[in-house]
Amino acid sequence: MRLLVSADTHLGSPIRSVALRNRDLGERLKRASRDTFADIVDLAISESVDALVLAGDIFDNSYPDLKSRAFLIAQLTRASDAGVPTVLIRGNHDALLDQRAHGDLGEGIVLLRKGAPSVEIGDAVFHGLSFDKAHVAKSFLPDYPAAVAGKHNIGLMHTSLDGAQGHDPYAPCSERDLMAHGYDLWCLGHIHAPFERVDGSVLAVMPGIPQPRHFGERNGGTVTCVTLGDGAPTFERYPVGRLSFCETTLDLSACSDQQELVRSLRDVLIACQLPSVDVAVRLHVVSDRHEAELIVELAMELLDGIEGVFLDKVKSTLPSTMIDGEADDLVRLMRAEFGEAGFWQAAIRELEDLQSVMPKEISHELDAETLDALLEDAVGEVTQLLRAGKS
Amino acid sequence: MRLNRLDLVRYGRFQDAEIPFPRPGAGVPDVTVVFGENESGKSTAFNGFLELLFGFKVGVHPYAFRFGRSDLLVGAELDLPGRGVTVLRRNSKPARSLLDGDGRPISEVTLSGSLHGLRRDIYEERFSLNEQGLREGGQRIAKAQGDLGQLLHAGLSGLTGMAEALDSLASRADRFHKKHGRNTALKTGKERLKEIASEVRAGLLTADQAKRLRRDRDRLSAEFATMDAKLIEASKRQLASRAAEIWHQRTQRFDELTKALDAFPEGEDLGPSIPTRVAALVEKISAQASKVAEADEGIAMQDQIIAEHPVDTVGQRLATELEHLDKLEIDDAPLMGRASTAWADLKQRRDARDAIKVQMDDMIRRLDAPDADQLVRALESIDLEELANAVKACLTAKQAADAATATLEMARDQHGEEPDEPKDLTALRTVLEGWKAVADLSLYKAREREAAERYEKVIAALPDGWRGLIAAGLPAPEVLSEAAKDRSTLTAEMAASQSDLEARESDLAEARARLGALEDAPDAIDIGKTEESRRQRDLLWGRHREILTQETADRCEAAMHADDDARAHYLTGAEARQRLAAAREQFKRIEAQHENAKKRHDVLIANLESHATHCSHLATALGMEDTTTPAAFGPRQLALTVAADAAAELTNAKRSLAEKIEHQDAAKTALIDEARQFGLDPSGTEPSAQVERILALEDTDRKAWTQWQDAKKKVTKLENKAAQCRHEVVEADAQFGRMTAGLPLPDCSPHGIESALPHLRTLVRLRGEYQAMLTRIESLEQAIELLKERALSLSDIMENEEIDANTDPIKVVESARSRVAVANKTEQRRSEATSLREDLVKSKRQAETEHQNAQKALAACFEGQGGQALDPLDRLDRLVERDQLRTERSAADRERQDAKDGVDADAFAAELDHMPDANRGTELEQLRMDAQINRDAARDAHREAERVYRDAFEAAERADLVTEQATLLEELRDQARQAAVARLGVLAARGALRQLAAERRSHMLSDVEKAFVSMTAPAWSGVDVWTQSEGEKLVGIRSDGAPVPVDQMSTGTIGQLYFALRLAGYRSFALDPGPLPMILDDIMETFDDTRARAALRLCAEIGASNGQAILFTHHAHLVELARDSIDGVAIVEMAECQGSNATYQ
Repeated sequence: MRLLVSADTHLGSPIRSVALRNRDLGERLKRASRDTFADIVDLAISESVDALVLAGDIFDNSYPDLKSRAFLIAQLTRASDAGVPTVLIRGNHDALLDQRAHGDLGEGIVLLRKGAPSVEIGDAVFHGLSFDKAHVAKSFLPDYPAAVAGKHNIGLMHTSLDGAQGHDPYAPCSERDLMAHGYDLWCLGHIHAPFERVDGSVLAVMPGIPQPRHFGERNGGTVTCVTLGDGAPTFERYPVGRLSFCETTLDLSACSDQQELVRSLRDVLIACQLPSVDVAVRLHVVSDRHEAELIVELAMELLDGIEGVFLDKVKSTLPSTMIDGEADDLVRLMRAEFGEAGFWQAAIRELEDLQSVMPKEISHELDAETLDALLEDAVGEVTQLLRAGKS
Repeated sequence: MRLNRLDLVRYGRFQDAEIPFPRPGAGVPDVTVVFGENESGKSTAFNGFLELLFGFKVGVHPYAFRFGRSDLLVGAELDLPGRGVTVLRRNSKPARSLLDGDGRPISEVTLSGSLHGLRRDIYEERFSLNEQGLREGGQRIAKAQGDLGQLLHAGLSGLTGMAEALDSLASRADRFHKKHGRNTALKTGKERLKEIASEVRAGLLTADQAKRLRRDRDRLSAEFATMDAKLIEASKRQLASRAAEIWHQRTQRFDELTKALDAFPEGEDLGPSIPTRVAALVEKISAQASKVAEADEGIAMQDQIIAEHPVDTVGQRLATELEHLDKLEIDDAPLMGRASTAWADLKQRRDARDAIKVQMDDMIRRLDAPDADQLVRALESIDLEELANAVKACLTAKQAADAATATLEMARDQHGEEPDEPKDLTALRTVLEGWKAVADLSLYKAREREAAERYEKVIAALPDGWRGLIAAGLPAPEVLSEAAKDRSTLTAEMAASQSDLEARESDLAEARARLGALEDAPDAIDIGKTEESRRQRDLLWGRHREILTQETADRCEAAMHADDDARAHYLTGAEARQRLAAAREQFKRIEAQHENAKKRHDVLIANLESHATHCSHLATALGMEDTTTPAAFGPRQLALTVAADAAAELTNAKRSLAEKIEHQDAAKTALIDEARQFGLDPSGTEPSAQVERILALEDTDRKAWTQWQDAKKKVTKLENKAAQCRHEVVEADAQFGRMTAGLPLPDCSPHGIESALPHLRTLVRLRGEYQAMLTRIESLEQAIELLKERALSLSDIMENEEIDANTDPIKVVESARSRVAVANKTEQRRSEATSLREDLVKSKRQAETEHQNAQKALAACFEGQGGQALDPLDRLDRLVERDQLRTERSAADRERQDAKDGVDADAFAAELDHMPDANRGTELEQLRMDAQINRDAARDAHREAERVYRDAFEAAERADLVTEQATLLEELRDQARQAAVARLGVLAARGALRQLAAERRSHMLSDVEKAFVSMTAPAWSGVDVWTQSEGEKLVGIRSDGAPVPVDQMSTGTIGQLYFALRLAGYRSFALDPGPLPMILDDIMETFDDTRARAALRLCAEIGASNGQAILFTHHAHLVELARDSIDGVAIVEMAECQGSNATYQ
C-alpha cells in the first residue's frame, strides 16, 4: 500500500520575501500555496497512491476565505474521481474544515474527528482526531483508538511532538509514547521542517510544509511517499515547492577591488541556483567597507543574468578581526557607549518612536530585546560607511 | 618600529635594489627624504614596503610585469621593538610567506606584534599621506563643521568621511520615517497596506457572507415557487375556458349534421377504398367483354398458317449427321477446321520439306565430313555454345600467357642493381623545424615597437603623475557622465530659478506698491480710524469748552472736519476697503511665493557649490585643475584608461619578445648538437643551410632506394602472374580436347573448330526444321482422310449420286449445311403459329373469368346499402356524400371531447357555465400574463441570487494583493530595521566621538595648535574649542583674535589644519601604542616655500619624538628646503639605490 503524506499546506498564505518585488517572480508565486497543492494532487494521481493523507493545517487562520475551502474540495474531488481517496484531520489553523459550520467535504474525502476517528481503506485503518481549539495544551494520544489486529494501522496527528523551536506548543506528545501506541505509521503535522523517526517497525513522518513561505521555513518544500508492506514502512521525499530559500555567506574581507568583489558575488549567487525551482537568496556579507546598499545594487545587476535566483536581502557585517574594536578607536568607543545608561535610554526611545508608527504586524521587529543585535549592526554600518567613503 | 633599508629583490621593475634609510645621529631627527623623478619607482617602493609588512594582495598583481607573481620578493632591515635589527623577506605565497634573511619561513608574530594589530588598510590610512589625500581630507573635514570629535578622529585614523557617513545614515533613516514627512517609505507603505487590506477584506468570502448569500438564495427560491404556482393556476383557468368555448361551439354543429343525414340512404359508412374500387370494377367489366371478341378472331388466323408449313424429315437427319461431324477432333483441334487448312496447305508443306533437305546436304558438303550421318548424330550430343566458349578460352589463355611472359622479361631488364639503404634523419629534421619556428623574430619586434609607439603617443597628452592617478583608482565613467549631467541640470535649474526669483521680486514690488497706494487712498479708511478721529474730535471739543480760545476752536474745527471726512470716506469706502483687503491678501501670497522662490534659489546655489566641490574631487582624481568643467572629465578618463591599456600592452609585447629570443637560442643550440652527429658543423655559418642540404639529399636517396624495392616487388608479382597464365593454357586445352573427341571433322584444332562453328550452327538449325516439317505433313494427311469418310455419309442421306472419292469433301459438307438451313426455317414458322394460337385460346378463357369476377365484386361493394335503383356510379356518389356528413359530425364530437380532455373538471364545469361569453378569454389572458410577469421576475431574482452565491465561491482570489501585502510588510520590516540601525549608528557614533574628544583633547589639541600655527603663521595665531548645544566645536583664531569656524576656512588653510590633525594623531599613536614609519608622498608640492619649510620642520618633530618620517618627492627644490630646514636630514636618491648587481629597466 502506498500513501502520499502532506501537512501544513496553509492554503492562501502568501510567501513573505522581498524577492517577490521582482515582477515575474511575484506573478509566478502569487498563488504558490494553491499551485503547490494542485501539484501534490497531481503527484498522488500520477503515482496512483492508495490514499492522500493530510495531517492538518490545510488552511491558514489569517486568510479565512471560503473560496479556499471550495478550492480544496475541487482538488480533492479531482483526486477522488481518479481513484485516490483523501484522509485528513484538522490542525490549529483549520476553522474552515469545521463540518458543523460548513458541511461535509464530499465523497472520497474523509475528515477524521471525535465520533468518527477511524476509517478503513483497503487493508489499512486510518485513525485521527481533529480538535476545535487553536491552542491545545494536552496530548491527543490517549484518545486515539487502539490498533485493529490484522490491518495496517495509520495514525494522523497534528502535534508539536516534544516541542519544536519556532512552533507553538500544540497538542504536545512524547515521541516515545507515540511510537509505542501500536500503529505502524504516524503521519504528523504542525512542524514545518520535514523529518522521519523510525523505531523498529514503526515509522513517524513529519512531511513539512510543501511550499515554504519564508526563510524560517527554508527546510520545507517536500511531501513524503510511504510504502506499507510486510516489513517496516519505507519512505521517500518528493520535492514539490516552487520557491526555495537559500541563506549564504560571502566573505569580502580579502577583496582588493570592485572587479574581485563582483566576481565573488557572481560566484556565490550562481552557486545558489537550483534546477527547476526559483531561489530567494539572503546574503550575509562580511566586509569592513562594503555596505549592504552597494551589495544589493551590484547583486541586482548580476541577477539579471542569473536565471532563477532572486535577492531577498543583504546583511553586511564587520570581519571578526574588527568586531572587538581593539585596533579601531571608533568601534571601541561606540561599544563603550552601549554601556552608558543615557545612551541606552536614548536608543530605546529611538526604537519606540519607530515602533509606534510601524504597522502592527511587524512592530515586534523593533522590540527592546532586539536592541543588542541592532547595535551590533549599527557599529558595522558606521564603520563600513566610513571606510567606503575613504576607499 | 623603524625601517633601516628596503630591499626590492624582485619587484616591479626592480631587481636587487636597496633603498637605505640611514639611522640619524644623536639629537638629529629621523627624517629621510627620498628623491626621484616621476616613474622612478617611489610608489613601487611604498607598495613593496606595505606588502613586506602585511603580505601580498591576492589576485592579479600590478607589479608582476617584469617578474612573475610567484617570483616576486621584497625585504627590509627593520628595527623591531624587543627584537632589534631584523632582516626579513616576503614572497607572494598565500601562506608562510614571511622569511628570515636566509629565506626560511618564520612566524608572522615577528612582525604583527610591532604593528600593534593594524591591518594594511588601516596602516595606510593612518601612516601615509599624499597631496590628494591632504586636499580631499581637508575638504571632507570641513563638512564636520568643526566637530571636535570628528576632527580628532580624522587626525587619528586618517578617515575623513565621518560627517558624510553620519549624514548618509540620518538621511537613510529619514527616508524611511520622519515626523511630518510626506513621502517617507513608511507613510507610503502604510497607505498602500491600508488600501490592500481594504480590497482584500472586500474580496474575502467569510462564513457570515456565505450564510447571508445562501439565505437570500433560499428565500428567493421559495418566492419563485409561489409565483410559479400562481402562473400554473392562471394557465389552467385559461385552458378550461378555451375548452368550454370549443365544447359549446362543436355541440351546436353536431346537432345540425345529425338532422341533415336523415335524407340519405341507409347503410354503414363505405370503406375508404370503396369509391375507387367501384369505379375500377365498372371499367373492368367493359374491358373484359372486348378482350373475348378479339381472341376469337386471332385463333382463326393461326390455324391457316399451320396448314401452309408441313414437317421435313431429311433435313432432320442431315442436321444430326452434321452435329456429329462438328464434334469430331484431331490432335485436340476440331476436325473440320484442321481438314480445311490441310486441304489448302499440304502441297506447300511438302515443297518446303524438300528445300530444307537440299540445304542440309549442302552444309555437310562444306564441312567436308567423311560421314554425314555420324556428324549429324555427334552434333546431337554437343552444345555448340559450350564448344565456342572452349575455343575462345583456349585462344585467350594462350594470348594472356604470351603477354605475361613478355612483361616479365621487360621488368627484369629494367630492374638494375640494388642501391645503398639511406640513414634516418628525423631527429635532425625536428630540430631544424624547431629552429625555423623561432628564427624570425621580426613580428615580435614590430609588435614591441608598435606598442611602444602607441604608449608614447597616448601618454604624450597626460600629466606626469598619470600612473599614480590610475593606481589611486579612476572615477567610474558613470560617475563622470553623471557629474556632467548634474552640472548641466543644475546650471539649467539655476538659470530658471534666477529667472523665477526675478519675476517673483518684480511681482512683490508691484504688489507692495499697489498695497501702499490702496492704503494711502482716503476711502480705504477702516472703522478703527473713524473711531480714532471721533475720539480726537471729542477730546479737542472738551478742551475747547474748557478754554474757548481761537486756537482750540480751530483745532476743534479741524478735528470735526477730519472726523466728518473720515466718516464720509468710511461710508463711501466699502469697495476700497475690500480692494485693500484683497491687495493685502495678494501681497501676502506673492510674498510667500517670493520667499519660496528665494529658498529654492538658495538650495540650488548650495547644490551647485556642493556639485562644484564634487567635480573638483573628480578633477583631482583625473589629474586636472580643480576648476575643470565636468565635460572634460570623460575624455581624460578615457585617455587614462587607454594609457593604462597601452602600458600593459607594451609590457606584454616586451615579455613576448624576450621569451622568443630565449626560445631562439635554445633551438639554435639543439640544431648544432644534432647536426654534429651527422658530421656537420653548422655553427660557423647560417645554422640551417648545411642541414637543409643534407636533408634535401636524404630525400633523393630514400626515393631511389624505395623505387628499387618497389620494382623488386613488381618483378616477383609478374613471375607469379606468368606461371598462373601457363597453367590456365593447359587447363583450357584439356577441356577443348574432351569436347571435340567425337567430332568427325578433318580439322579439330581450336582454329579449325572456330572456322567450322558457323556451318555447324546452320546444320543443327536446318536439321531441327526438317524434323518439324515431317511431323506437320503427316498430321495434315490424317485430317483429310477422316473428313472424306464423313462426306460420303452425308451424300448418302442426301441421295446424291454425283459425289465420289475425289469430290472435295468440304463442298459436300457445305451442301448438307444449306439443306439443313432450309428445313430449319420451315419448322420455325410452323412452330411460331402453333404457339401463338395456344396463347390466344388461353387469353380468351382468362377474360371470361375476369368479367364474371368483376360482376361479383361490384355487388359486394354495395352490400347492405340502400339506393339499389340507382346506376352504380350515381349510387356511389350519393353514398359518398352521406359519409362525408357523418365524418364531419364525428370530427365535431371528437374536437369537443379533445378540448375537455386534460382540463381540470371543476374548472371546465365552472367555465362552461359562463358560455357563451365573448370577453371571458381576454379576461383570463390578462390574468395569466400578470401571473407570468410576476413569476418571471421571481425566477430572475432567484437565478441572480444563485449566481451571486456561486460566483462568491468561484471568484478569483486576490492572491496578487495578499502577496503584495506580504512583500510590502517584508520590505518595511527590512527598511525599519535599517532605519533603526542608522539612527542607532548615528547616536552611537556621536557619543563615541564625544568620548574621543574627551580622551584625546588634552594632549592632541596643543599638538594641533602648534602644528597649525607653525604652518599658517602669521595669519593664524591658534585654535580654540567652543562648547555649543550640539557639542564642542574647533575654531581657528586669526592673528587679530577673530575666531573662524572650520567650515569657513579657505581650502589651503583647512588642508593645513588637516595636516596638523594628522601629525597630532601620529604623535598620539606614537606615544601609545608606539611609533611606526610615517610615509608622506609629495604633500608639499602646493605649499609655498614658507609653509613647506614649516611642514618640513613638523616632519622633523615626528622624527625627533621617537618616530620615523619618510618623505617621497620628485621636486628637487623640496630636497633643498629639507636640507635647509632639518638638520642632519637623510637624502636618498632613487637613481642611486640599485646596488652593485642591480639592474633597472
